[in-house]
Amino acid sequence: VDDDVPVRESAEQFRARARAWLAASAPRRSAAGGDEVGSGAGLAGQRAFQARLYDAGFAGITWPAQYGGQGLTNAEQIAFSQESRDFALPVGAFVIGLGMPGPTLLECGSEEQKQRYLRPMLRGEEIWCQLFSEPGAGSDVASLQTSAILDGDTWILSGQKVWTSGAQYSDFGAVLARTDPAQPKHRGITMFIVDMHAPGVTVRPLRVATGSAPFNEVFFDNVRLNADAMIGERNRGWDAAVVMLRSERLTIGTLTAGRDNPLGFSKLRELAGQLDRLGDPAIRRRLAELYARQSAAGLFGRLLREEAMAGRMPGARGSVAKLAGAEAATFSAEVAADVLGDAVAGFDTPELAQVLTSIVAVPGLAIAGGTNEIQRNIIGERVLGLAKDPGVDRQTPFNQLKVGTQQRPVTS
Amino acid sequence: MSLILTADEEALRDSVRRFVADRTPLTSVRALITAGEPYDAEVWKQLTAQLGLAGLIIPEEYGGAGAGPAAMAVALQELGAGLVPSPLLASAVLAAGTLLALDDMAAREALLPGIASGETVATLALTGPAGAAAGVRAAADGDLTRLSGELAPVLNGAQASALLIPADGPDGLAVYLVDGAAAGLTRTPLTTADPTRALARVTLAGSPGRALAGNAASALSAARDLASLALAAEQCGAMAACLAMTTEYAKLRVAFGQPIGAFQGVKHRLADMETAWELGHAALRAAARSAAESPADFPRDAAAARVLISGPYFTAAADTIELHGGIGFTWEHDAHLYYKNALSGKVLLGGPADQLDRLAAALGM
Repeated sequence: VDDDVPVRESAEQFRARARAWLAASAPRRSAAGGDEVGSGAGLAGQRAFQARLYDAGFAGITWPAQYGGQGLTNAEQIAFSQESRDFALPVGAFVIGLGMPGPTLLECGSEEQKQRYLRPMLRGEEIWCQLFSEPGAGSDVASLQTSAILDGDTWILSGQKVWTSGAQYSDFGAVLARTDPAQPKHRGITMFIVDMHAPGVTVRPLRVATGSAPFNEVFFDNVRLNADAMIGERNRGWDAAVVMLRSERLTIGTLTAGRDNPLGFSKLRELAGQLDRLGDPAIRRRLAELYARQSAAGLFGRLLREEAMAGRMPGARGSVAKLAGAEAATFSAEVAADVLGDAVAGFDTPELAQVLTSIVAVPGLAIAGGTNEIQRNIIGERVLGLAKDPGVDRQTPFNQLKVGTQQRPVTS
Repeated sequence: MSLILTADEEALRDSVRRFVADRTPLTSVRALITAGEPYDAEVWKQLTAQLGLAGLIIPEEYGGAGAGPAAMAVALQELGAGLVPSPLLASAVLAAGTLLALDDMAAREALLPGIASGETVATLALTGPAGAAAGVRAAADGDLTRLSGELAPVLNGAQASALLIPADGPDGLAVYLVDGAAAGLTRTPLTTADPTRALARVTLAGSPGRALAGNAASALSAARDLASLALAAEQCGAMAACLAMTTEYAKLRVAFGQPIGAFQGVKHRLADMETAWELGHAALRAAARSAAESPADFPRDAAAARVLISGPYFTAAADTIELHGGIGFTWEHDAHLYYKNALSGKVLLGGPADQLDRLAAALGM
């Protein structure tokens, strides 16, 4: 008889343990807002916190135990997400890696890759980024032109990526590269793991409409990759990319909007009170509708997780969550402008500066992770089962296509 | 608290869905409309005696099932999908809900068992937005109280044998019970936008009524919350029917050499319909749950669900006609039935502005 067989704790016991740990170990949300994903601020502190989170058994809650996860279910994941709502967990640097490359490695990676990369990723020892978009390949990411050419045992990676969150502090990236330009565009792509510290990798900050630089441009100049850097099979990188993009939409779509979101119902209602606008029935109605839309986006995310627990996988419905989140954000910017009136045009308080920055950031949400139009295509085709766009470029060898805003076909 | 259906709720959904498909398909609904009937008495008998739907929110002590508003929402979603005409909303939701929110034990004992069995059809004459003047006055006349005034539109007002009438009386607002055969009571069926929803003008000319014990204002408010949940549930089902019908057609109909669903002009409209439905449905599930598990949140969640379904269902029904093209605008096609149902359901028991005002009030604004 083995005395060491652990007694599995219930989801409610897990919740109680998470609550106690968070109260003792995590910073509460401040009125001024939490950490910003990709800011890179306090990276050492974030790494230390992630390590504590891992050691306490709250990292990789649903990941298999043999790769450092907790091997638990969505019930524990939901419990932890709910309990952590009032805390500003300093883990922004790890959201991308754990939300996208991590699940993709779990699903498509080799056993050696899972053993090598997942545990350090979970413990915050190694940070990951995702390298898909290019200047000529955004919505149509399968038109990417970054190339990887086999030279003996190694691949030589060359090209440019853009909109890469966290590249400036990442240790590894999951990169899509063209490995056979004579194939139609979806069939000549391979996914690789690239060491972001390797010679030939250059990272430059990309400044956006808000004035800050939360993304990067990444240049690869003859970067050498080992043969074991391939995720999945050669020229089958699009399959792995679809897995990762699906995780991305779910991650973005079901991110719980923090209670301190400057464009959230609570904050805008507070602002309307301060500006003496709540006497106006039109403002009250706009705020009420904002509450309904924002809460429904959150409820839908919850419904998807509960269905997943009951064995019904969300599949492409993550795109519904992503579209709904972007549209709720667009609506929140309209309501913010209604509440503020002409104060949005000129002001002298830091609180309004934060609201303005959020309003300016909103159009980016309708693009990041796939534009609203791309999500509508996915919902139409993969949720409702409508006919696919005929795709004039689907069967043509990639090296005979026009790409992006280029005037001549790609030659390589 | 879980948003997905329980096993019991799934079983209820399946049995109501089967019933609608087998016993009251849209072809039967059309025949009923053509005959000018407010509802099919045989279907009503089966909905109540066989499926027990009228007793869902009525406690067992009064002959109901005591299953609560969440179960009622599940049933109404299926009936709404099939546009099944019945006095369920008027009798088993509005009238029963009001009686349960008041404190008049004699009225409960007299009416609830009949409502639960379906033998009694009752209604609540709730019209216009909350807070508007009652439109009926009650005055003492010896031992009697007599009601005078006019109310419209009243759900199933012409069919109900018992009417709950909010009126301003000597002691302020109260809910009065008026018998369907009372002297001075005239019920005139209205021409309705939606042929599946029977409405009437109720005129009282000194009709005798009995003031029911209990707080009328809070009971009527509770009835409005239940109405929001019930209408949201019906409309959620009906909107799903529009989405399914239009998606199917977009796969079959070919134009310019391909199924019309391949065109983004069609595909994106359907994607928006799906997204709006998912959000409304999630809000409906939350409202159904809070009715059962956190009553303090119910007024807020019911109002939010109605806001997220009533408007988008109307848009979806209009899109259903348009995306079908010419065939969708014909009398023979079902699309106009949903469009008319959506129009009526958008404005009954408080239109869009009133719905937002209720939500704002529940949010403390």
